[in-house]
Amino acid sequence: MIALKEVRKEYLQPNGERLRVLENITFEIAKGMFSSLLGPSGCGKSTILNLIAKLDRHTSGDISVNGDKIGFVFQQPRLLNWRTVTDNVALPLERDNSDKRGRRELAVKYLGLVGLSGFENYYPLQLSGGMQQRVAIARALVIDPDILLMDEPFSGLDEFTARKLRQELIRIWRETGKTIVFVTHSISEAVFLSEQILIVSQKPATIFKRVTVDVPYPREYGDLRLFEIETSLTRDFLEMNSER
Amino acid sequence: MNTILRILSIVSLVLAWLILSFVFSPTIVPGPFAVLQAMWENVRSGQAFYHLYKTLFRVGFGLVLTMALGIAFGTAMGLSRRAEVFLESWVMVGLTLPAIVYSIICLLWFGLNDFAAIVAIGASAFPAVGISIWQGIKGMDTQLVSMGNAFKLSRGAIIRKIIFPQLLPHILAAMRYALGICWKICTTVELIGMSSGVGFMLNYWFGLFSMSQVFAWTLLFLLVMFAIEYLLFKPVEKRLTKWRNDVPIPLSA
Repeated sequence: MIALKEVRKEYLQPNGERLRVLENITFEIAKGMFSSLLGPSGCGKSTILNLIAKLDRHTSGDISVNGDKIGFVFQQPRLLNWRTVTDNVALPLERDNSDKRGRRELAVKYLGLVGLSGFENYYPLQLSGGMQQRVAIARALVIDPDILLMDEPFSGLDEFTARKLRQELIRIWRETGKTIVFVTHSISEAVFLSEQILIVSQKPATIFKRVTVDVPYPREYGDLRLFEIETSLTRDFLEMNSER
Repeated sequence: MNTILRILSIVSLVLAWLILSFVFSPTIVPGPFAVLQAMWENVRSGQAFYHLYKTLFRVGFGLVLTMALGIAFGTAMGLSRRAEVFLESWVMVGLTLPAIVYSIICLLWFGLNDFAAIVAIGASAFPAVGISIWQGIKGMDTQLVSMGNAFKLSRGAIIRKIIFPQLLPHILAAMRYALGICWKICTTVELIGMSSGVGFMLNYWFGLFSMSQVFAWTLLFLLVMFAIEYLLFKPVEKRLTKWRNDVPIPLSA
């Protein structure tokens, strides 16, 4: 479904030097899978997402992505504050020639899916941060994407709101069966959400390790099996940092 | 509550005027009634409409020219680093030169006509608009643009749906501000080089030492300004920024 093979990415800096961001990234993600890219801040995780979404070009290597409809959720909600919640969700649909009524109906349906029924005519600034992020998720889902890319979507929220949204994300994922690539720097978040975790090292980034989380859904916070994986991942991180 | 406050503010202003008119002689501060009477005569004779029309005509086209130049300069400077470096000194020169300089130059170049007035207005008022638009673009949320790219919106759609709505409040604010400048410049141009318009009439009555007529024309001018502000700008702005008005700003925690 998504396959990266020996992907390298370099940026040309203003002083003429080349900055290598990604070094030899290789991984595969199967259709319908929930995968996390886990790594320290600024290691190039977001660059990988941008490459998958074809928003950026890689320097060398192969990237193959099945399906070109991609939904994106960012760290900040990135909503258009002058549009109502419904019109925000309908924004990605406007490039097609569908009628306005159909677009609205679809937007309202996905607002329901993320638990925002009754808020259709609100403006973003009238909502809390968590609710704004729900709107952003609905906007990403409304195009019925083949792949959902999420770039630290809950890191700006308080822990209680983030926990609630993680549980709902799992519910939505199980209902829709989307392929999700989730970027995070939180070990516990990655463990709670994912079937597969790809640990990304510091710049220039490589895939340090691939870990599968073999705990059935729905998962509970405080599950000991999750805790054990978290502990071993923490050890991996310490080992990864001492190697450099 | 706000309406009462607004009315109170205007009433107290008129009261202060009334009191001053009792203290000073009518040749220095004519009272509200004498001024209203002079204004009514101007309206009845049709003079008020003719000169107001002339001034509004010049201000209107001057404003259009101001906004067109200002938006063009501001957009170029906001979007391109080269244009910014190249045009910045022009805008600074434009801002620094007194409006009277433009007025004199335009009247000498183009003659004593409406065209000269309109060009003078546009030339003196556009730098302020340009700076406002320029800063508006610089302060724009570029993350929203990359969101548009991520959802594969076309370039045109991004400009129309993401960039322009963010600029709109800046354009509106610049336009209100520009209107004020345009009025002021227009009266100056009319005073030195025109034979019609409110500025011309002010100069005319100044020559005849008629304070009540000077006040009458000034008041007429103010009333028209208020009408434009409250009947046109305020409602339009309120409609376009509805999404913001509903949210109170939490100043105290």
